[in-house]
Amino acid sequence: MTTPAIAIRDVRMDYPSPEGVKHVLDGITYDVTDGHFVSIVGPSGVGKTTLLRLLTGLAQPTGGSIEVRGQKLNGSPKGLAVVLQDYTRSLMPWLTVEKNIALPLRNEKISKAEGNERIQSSLAEVGLEGNQKSYPWQLSGGMQQRVSIARALAVRPSILIMDEPFASVDAQTRFDLEDLVLKVRDDFHITTVMVTHDIDEAVYLSDEVVVLYGKPAQVSEVVTIDLPFPRSQIKTRNDHRFAALRTRIYEKVRGIQA
Amino acid sequence: MITRRLWRWIVSILIAGWLPVILIVWWWNASSTSDNPFFPPLQVIWEEFKLNWIFANVPVHLVPSMENLFTGFAIAVVLGIGLGALIGSSAGASRYIEPIIDFFRSIPAVALVPIFILLLGFDSSMRIASIAFATTFPILIATIEGIRTTNVVLLDTASVFRLSGTQVLWRVRLPNAMPVIFGGLQVAFQIAFIVTIASEYLGSGFGLGAFTLNATDSFLIVDAWTGVLLLGMLGYALSLVFDVVERASLGWYYGQKKLA
Repeated sequence: MTTPAIAIRDVRMDYPSPEGVKHVLDGITYDVTDGHFVSIVGPSGVGKTTLLRLLTGLAQPTGGSIEVRGQKLNGSPKGLAVVLQDYTRSLMPWLTVEKNIALPLRNEKISKAEGNERIQSSLAEVGLEGNQKSYPWQLSGGMQQRVSIARALAVRPSILIMDEPFASVDAQTRFDLEDLVLKVRDDFHITTVMVTHDIDEAVYLSDEVVVLYGKPAQVSEVVTIDLPFPRSQIKTRNDHRFAALRTRIYEKVRGIQA
Repeated sequence: MITRRLWRWIVSILIAGWLPVILIVWWWNASSTSDNPFFPPLQVIWEEFKLNWIFANVPVHLVPSMENLFTGFAIAVVLGIGLGALIGSSAGASRYIEPIIDFFRSIPAVALVPIFILLLGFDSSMRIASIAFATTFPILIATIEGIRTTNVVLLDTASVFRLSGTQVLWRVRLPNAMPVIFGGLQVAFQIAFIVTIASEYLGSGFGLGAFTLNATDSFLIVDAWTGVLLLGMLGYALSLVFDVVERASLGWYYGQKKLA
């Protein structure tokens, strides 16, 4: 058996709050298979983003452990990149597009030429050639999120973590970005974990969907999405299995017993 | 598009300039027949201005003032931004240090000039120290504020991409704080100008402050007026330079604000 990309073992997360200790997550156990696209869904406030912060090493779990490729997580590991929902606040407004992408490369031990090559190829991958000298705020929301994705790709990550990456863009852009993410995953074989509250999006993109439910939240269901790849916005979404999977996940998110 | 930019530039100068021009013309005419010794004709002031400041008295009075101003201000910039960056990055430090800062910044710098005289004597080090003291606080406070209010998403992003503490300070917190720091610098620069002149009121034979005060004391009213005129021109020119520097270094900030 191969080592999972991320092994989440009995993870618990408690927060102190004015009403006493708040138990957010309890006994979360799940393996993210290498190369998989995994979505985490659940009702609002269930603790999806908390789990994501634990996976990125931005917070430490109160109990249990998280291992990335067999290494216990201690801070943010090398080879991990993030795309956050709030692109207007996650890109540096004082840096041009190319300098934003270059910023995380400072700690990679690569030559300047290699760095430039990575910036160019990442921009090409997300379809933003020719925009490298612009500032992020000169671009549309969808383009800014493409810059975030390019920045993530430039560090050549093996794991990509995304927190509601398409929540702030319009519907058409959203479809384009979803397909972009699928293409990126294919091109680079990146293990991807995404938090979303859009169940259709979770089904469309994922190999597996993890449903969090309860207070404290637990993994209430892991749904395997056996829809064929490559996926298409029209064909996949019209597949009768798509509807069945969506219904099943929707019921779990709402806490409806089947 | 050069011609269009040039045109816009000319228009903005006309918009900014019409009122001062009218005021000067009015002053020139209204004062032309004045025989009040305290309000001499502008023409007389202008003749004297040329004798004093183009350029006979420049090395004696203007240069020392400007040397003090810029040295004191430079010290304050280094101290204010340096300390501010350190204090602002640590939540604990700012909580302990801020009351002390509030105490010291509440002291009018001019009130400290006599104490600096006791400590440093009458030479320019006293003046530079007074300027530096007075101007450090607005810069320090702006820097602490700007550094501390870096948004969490930026800091999280920096942390996931494993930027070091120094990189976060230098490449995230400081650039993010620059618009606020520039606000502090602008306030500080005005204070520096005031303290430069005020510090020359005591025990100095040189400098614009000393020149104006001595002229008034000797009833050389026309000379005093030329000093005031020069101070006004200087203050205006320096704030213009300041604006240009600010616009140039904060292009991203103003561009973003224009779109918002």
